[in-house]
Parts: sequence; structure tokens; C-alpha cells
Amino acid sequence: MPSAKPRLFQNGRIASTASPELRAADVLVDGNGVIVAIGEGLSAPEDAELIDCSGCVLVPGMFDLHVHAREPGQEHKETLATCAAAALRGGVTGVVLMPDAAPPIDSGPLVKSAMDLVSELSPIPMHQSGCLTKGREGKEMAAFSGMASRGVPLLTDADRPVPCPDLMRRCMEYARDFDLLVASHTDTPALSKAGAVNEGNVSYRFGLPGIPAISQEIAIDRDIRVAQHTGARLHLQQISTARGLKSVQIAKEAGTLVTCEVSPHHLVLTEQDLRDYNTHFKFNPPLRPAADVEALVAGFIDGSIDVLASDHAPHTEFEKSSDFGSAPFGAAGLETAVPVIHDRFIRAGVFGWDLLIERYSAAPRRLAGFAPVAIAEGEKAEFFVFDPESETPVTRETMKTKSPVTPFLGKTLAGRVCGTALGGEWYGQG
Amino acid sequence: MSELKPRKDLLDIEGLELPEIEHVLSNAVPFKQLFQRSVKKVPALRGKTVLNLFYEPSTRTSSSFEVAANRLSADVTNFTVSSSSVVKGESLLDTIETLQAMRSDYIVIRHQAAGVPDIVAKHTGASVVNAGDGYHAHPTQALLDAMTFREVHPDYEGRKVVIVGDILHSRVARSTSTLFNKLGIEVAVLGPGTLVPGGRHDFMKRLRSWDEVFDWKPDAVYLLRVQLERQEGQFFPGIAEYHKMYGVNTQRLARMRQLGAYLMHPGPVNRGVEITDEAMRYERSLINTQVENGIAVRMAVLHWLQPETDTN
Repeated sequence: MPSAKPRLFQNGRIASTASPELRAADVLVDGNGVIVAIGEGLSAPEDAELIDCSGCVLVPGMFDLHVHAREPGQEHKETLATCAAAALRGGVTGVVLMPDAAPPIDSGPLVKSAMDLVSELSPIPMHQSGCLTKGREGKEMAAFSGMASRGVPLLTDADRPVPCPDLMRRCMEYARDFDLLVASHTDTPALSKAGAVNEGNVSYRFGLPGIPAISQEIAIDRDIRVAQHTGARLHLQQISTARGLKSVQIAKEAGTLVTCEVSPHHLVLTEQDLRDYNTHFKFNPPLRPAADVEALVAGFIDGSIDVLASDHAPHTEFEKSSDFGSAPFGAAGLETAVPVIHDRFIRAGVFGWDLLIERYSAAPRRLAGFAPVAIAEGEKAEFFVFDPESETPVTRETMKTKSPVTPFLGKTLAGRVCGTALGGEWYGQG
Repeated sequence: MSELKPRKDLLDIEGLELPEIEHVLSNAVPFKQLFQRSVKKVPALRGKTVLNLFYEPSTRTSSSFEVAANRLSADVTNFTVSSSSVVKGESLLDTIETLQAMRSDYIVIRHQAAGVPDIVAKHTGASVVNAGDGYHAHPTQALLDAMTFREVHPDYEGRKVVIVGDILHSRVARSTSTLFNKLGIEVAVLGPGTLVPGGRHDFMKRLRSWDEVFDWKPDAVYLLRVQLERQEGQFFPGIAEYHKMYGVNTQRLARMRQLGAYLMHPGPVNRGVEITDEAMRYERSLINTQVENGIAVRMAVLHWLQPETDTN
């Protein structure tokens, strides 16, 4: 492999999980993509590329546990290449791919072919997860052993719960033999039905079928009890209500092996933000009332929520242009996650970079079975340069995802990812 | 008459301002007087075209709009789309493009999905009148209800109307209650807990029984049509039980008569379910007046809205 040019990142401030304080230092990355020196006033090797990071923060690369890259099978929405470009624009240097490709990734050979595609098409590490049940149909267990031997980071039916509690029990018991993490989309379809928004005054006002909070909360309680019964490791995706979070907190206090994630949109948007039937705000689980959002933010800070995950779920503008009830759930999230959290919380002093790095870089890597990354001598370069004084315009033109559908479209977020260093590569963002 | 901001579309009641409501309701009065004459037509919309686009079968509302448009001398095209042909995956935007090509000045639309009129309105210069979208809104129904109630109670402010039945799935309940509230008419609801949603507006006081209703002394009882079949589950044990709990029977009619309460219903009525045969002949039933006022109000609405098609 040809060596790249050494790069000297000058005058930046380094963020880490260790402290909210930033450390002013230059970072020298050698031609092999390894951080060889960190310190103030480093002198540049002769052939080094100088990257001025004045006023900027150097942040360890984020890791997104919940990404729908849509390839193979739905390349009209997103491809591995556009997904990776979006990730890099968002400072994300690793992702876990959901298995809801077409066909669903539910066997060892399919995991292998998906990973082959990744190594061919993606500049960043992407880890293919596998289905819990065959074809994501919730009827029969998928072939765990083959997927485990291909190194899947977790098993999930991605956006679908396993409706039958007996099957979920068997999945967890069996997953335990392979020490596989079971990630659950917590929903009770018999309760959520054709719901499109949170059940409450917004669903009433818009005349849309509601998704009651209990459809997620009952599923959370069920899966926690199954995890307690089986001893399996359970990860709850996309927590959205205060009561659901409370269940997680109680389970954690009881020593249950349970973790959970929240998405940026559930931390910064409420159901009241839905206007004019804008389908960019249609999510599953849906946006919730302000009281839930406040509880989620508190849980994000106190650690009862372990992980931030974008649930990057691109759909084309055409698909999202149908009526609210028929439009698909989800939106692009990879490239807005960090700017959104910075804009709303870090800039306002609610919490520091250390917390975001823990929730969006370190914790998800550990959950997926990888070592956290840090900006330290001897480590591979895996960080991004963030300018808190700059701005991220969220427009069709600036977005890297193939489907620029997001609730933040048209907004300008405070702070910008200027570029991402990954090994010997530097992905500058214009 | 004070100057109103021009309005292109009528999509729901929430977005209306009081002067606009007064404008429509007061203009509906002379239109209604027109119906007494042998020539019931005025040339107000001569040369304009109205497209009646119904994705849900509705003879009554569709005809009402058709008659209203005819009496304004507009050319009317009825376009009924059987719901089976509108399968998921068909693009609403493609349909809108087709409509654009027809160059209608007014599009009256009914659709089973909430929000569709909003989407159509955004993408066309024609004035869009929502004739009912999902459970969301039915603004002309609300306006005709207000007109009807105000005819019998010119001193309508502070008066009371109880809406009985399926609030959850009713666009009529949503729009009519919102308009009544804007006009200062008190609104209460009666119905099974499964059909009275917790997310309803705060002003919709819930009454638990007919006894509570009569103690509350409503000036009108507004019955909603009971949908006998529901895809998404069961909301009450059966028609007989519904009738027993919430239907207007002989005894309840007698109490209404005592109070002098009027009876309203958006139609079509399920006889023997929300109301008995006998109650249909109640001397204070406003059901037929509602139908007549529907035409007048829809004329006033079409006359009021300002399409942005003229400059095309």
C-alpha cells in the first residue's frame, strides 16, 4: 500500500472522553496514517501537508450503531458510497449496517457477500449485522452460527420487532451461545397498527392514526424480561418515551445486561414540530411530547441511555412525497447527527464533547465488539476536525446522502465538520 | 365589510380567522335566499371550472358541491376515483400534474388519507376545497353546521352543543367542534371511552352519560354517524349496545323536547343505531336544513376563495 503524505493538524484543540476540557495541541499523522506526535508547536516534516485547525476541535471518529445503507437492493435510496460520504461529512468513521437489505441479510453467505460489497465500495469501515429471524419475517430463527462466524456485531430484525415472545425467547437463548448482542426494535404491532404519529393531541389534530406510547413501552418491558430470563445481552433501539427509559433504568439497577440507544431527532424534536403534514418528520418510533424529550436528554446525560445512533434511513423525496399516512418512516441522519447535537447541546453548554464522544464513539464501538478510538500517539488516525464557529447548511445541494430527506432540511446548524482523517486519508469537506 | 386577506384554499378550520368565518357565513345567507326564487342561479363564477375530485364515495357531499358550483354558473367536472384504483405506490404528485393540465380553477377534493388536500394545494394554483380528508377535517360541513345553528340561535354565543358518538374517527367532530369553539359555542362530547380520544382539544368536555348531557342542558344534540365496520379493531361490543348507551330513543327524545334542544346529524343517518325512526321525525330536527345550508355555504366558499390560476 502506498504511503500517504504526512499531515500536521495545527493549532486545534483535542477532545476526548477523559474530560470536557479540550487540550490545545498539534497532531502529526505519518504516511502510514498513524498519529506519531501530539504537542504544542510541533514542527512539520518537510513533505507534510499542513491543515490549519485554528479555532477547531479535533474529535475521535464517531461510530453509528444503526444505519440503513440500502445497498444491496434499494440503491435508488442510498448506496454504500453515498452512505459513506454522508458519514464522513458527519464525522462518522464506522457504522453498523442494518440487515434489512433486499434480500435480508439472514445467513453467513449473505453477510459475506455484503461485507465483500463494503470492502469494494466503502472508504469507511461498515459492519454488517444479521437478522434475528429468517427474512425478517418474525417466524423462524435465522442461521446464527454462520453469521456469528462472519463476525456480525449484532443481530436485529431492524425496524421490526419479533412479535412472538416465544420466538424472541429462543432467539435470545440461542444468541447467548454465541455471545451475540440482540438488538430489538421495540414495538407491539397489535398496538401501533397503521399509526403514523404519536397518539395524543397531534394525532387528533392532524386526524392521523396514532402510535400509542405503550406500543413501545410494553415491548421494552417484554424484551427486558426475556433478557433477564435468558441472560442474553439486549440492546434496545430508538428509545423514545420517559416510561420506556424508566424501564431500562430499573433493569440496569437490577443488573440486567441491557443497553439502549436514542436518536438525535428524538433528543431535539417533539411531536409539536410536525407541521403541514411534512413527512420528513415521520419516524418510527414517532416524535414524542416535550416531557418525553426532556427525560431522554436527562437519560442521555446521566448514562441510562448508552448510545447515540442516527437511525440513518434514507428514502427518496418521491417516496416521501406521498400522503403522511402512506409515506415511509425514517430520514437521513448520518451527516446531521454531530452538528445537531453540537447546535442544541454542546454549544449551549448543556454537556461537553466528552459526553458525545462516549455516547456516539466509544460506547457503540464497545457494544459492537470494537475498541474505542482516541486521538493519542501510536493510534491510527481516526478523527474529524470540527469548527464550532462555522455552520452546516442542510440543503439538497450540500447533503451527501442520495436522499436528502431530513427534518432539518432548510436549517443551518451551528458548527461544521471541516474534514475527517481516517488512517492515511483526509476527507476534507469543502 | 373589512378587507380580508385573499385566501386560495379552504383546508381546515384551525387556520381560519374569525372575520373570514363571518364573511362566509354572512355571504351564505343571500345565496340561500336565492333558492326561494325560480331562477336559482347567479353568474358569479361564469367561465370558471370546478373539478369535483372524490377518492371516497360520497353522493351527498359531491352533489352538494356540484349544485353549489352550478348555481354559481361554473362548469363542473365530476371525477370519482374508485378507491381500489388508488393503490399505494401511485403517486399523488403525478395525479396533481394531471390535474394541473386540466386547468381547473377550483378543486374540490375528498380523500381517505389525512393531509392530501394540503399536498394538492401546495402544488396547484387552483383553489382547493377540502371536502373531507381521512379523520382530519371537513371544513364546509363545519361552516354549514354553524350556519344552521346560528339560524335557530342568533344569540349563539355561550350556547351549548353536545357531539355524540365516534369522535376519534370523525373529521366532522374535529372541524365542527373547532368552529363552534371559535364562535364561542360550548362543546361537550358523549361517547364510549374507546372513541373519545384523550388527545382531543381541551375545550371538548367529556360527558359520561345521557343524564349528564341533560343536566348540562345542551341547545343542540349533534349525532355522528356510527361507522359499522372498522378495519383497525373493535371499539364497542355491538350495534345494539351502542344504541342502548348512546342512541337517541323515545325517552331521550322526550328529554330533548323538554329542553327544547335541536337535533343535528351530518348524514347519512343509520336509523335504529344512532337514532330511532321516531326521532327522525322530531320537530326540532335540523338535518334537512343542514343539507340545504350546505349548498349555500359551499357557494359562499367558492365565491370567497381566490384561485391563482388567472395569471397562468
